[in-house]
Amino acid sequence: MRHNPASTAILIWCSVVCAVLACGESRSQAATLKLQVQLVWGTNDDRSPDPKHKPVESDVREKLKELPLKWSNYFEVNRKGFEVSPAGVIRIALSEKCEVEVRSLGSSKLEVTLFGKGKETLKRTQSLPNGEMLVLGGNAPNSTAWLVVLKRME
Amino acid sequence: MDWKTQLKLQAFLDGELPETQARKVSNSLAQDREAAALLAELRQTREALAGFDKGIQLPETREFFWSKIQREIQRAEARTPAPVGIPFFARLRRLLMPATAVALLAIVGMVATRQTGSTLRSGGAEAETSLEDTGAFTYRDYSAGTTLVWLSYPAEHELADEDEGGTLD
Repeated sequence: MRHNPASTAILIWCSVVCAVLACGESRSQAATLKLQVQLVWGTNDDRSPDPKHKPVESDVREKLKELPLKWSNYFEVNRKGFEVSPAGVIRIALSEKCEVEVRSLGSSKLEVTLFGKGKETLKRTQSLPNGEMLVLGGNAPNSTAWLVVLKRME
Repeated sequence: MDWKTQLKLQAFLDGELPETQARKVSNSLAQDREAAALLAELRQTREALAGFDKGIQLPETREFFWSKIQREIQRAEARTPAPVGIPFFARLRRLLMPATAVALLAIVGMVATRQTGSTLRSGGAEAETSLEDTGAFTYRDYSAGTTLVWLSYPAEHELADEDEGGTLD
């Protein structure tokens, strides 16, 4: 079969147009970040004494299991879903003592500030691509742990 | 023997030379053995071919036969397209070829940039943490895409005060 260079060129141009459109689409999607933050309690007990607590979702549990943490069970204390517009900032209260502030810096980059009892405890800047998680944690009474799990939803 | 002499010998054999020239050639043959040999060869060849095409007869007249050949030649010439400017598709191809090469490079660059950006995003290279807790550490699980920042501060009596049930509420 005879090769037609003009057809190939047109095909490549169509691919270029598609690639440019795809890039534009992905950028527009990255404009507003959809996130979810959870306050999680880590323990070796099989059940939480608080009946309102429920085990974390499987995907979060699996990722927590991959981390060098000694706890076998993780319970969701609170969960908040939110969106951050480009250059936007939002402050989420997870409990009376724990708050998280998330600022979008563009291109999936976030500035996450953790507040304990209203006092700034940690400020971290990092990219959070879709599906990735940032876990902030520390020790809690009775050899348990608190975890703030920030997850990118879209 | 030069080419001209050979042609003259052929003309002599065919009886096409004027009488004076034919006599000169005839006289020279007695002294030029090479010319005599060539003439003999030419004569033998003519005799060998004599009568070769006698059995071939055209189905039409000679004039009609040649007129057919002439018409075929004219028709073939008419079919040859007149030279015109560069066709549109040829011009388009000339334009598209370099542009396509540039586009391909652009695609490769775009993909490479996106992959590099993705790698950077996935890595902890651009992460930056500021906190007063010197006992904190950061762990990065690249396969799971998870980053853990473990704090020794706030301690048990700050962020993680337990409630009556011993949980975080």
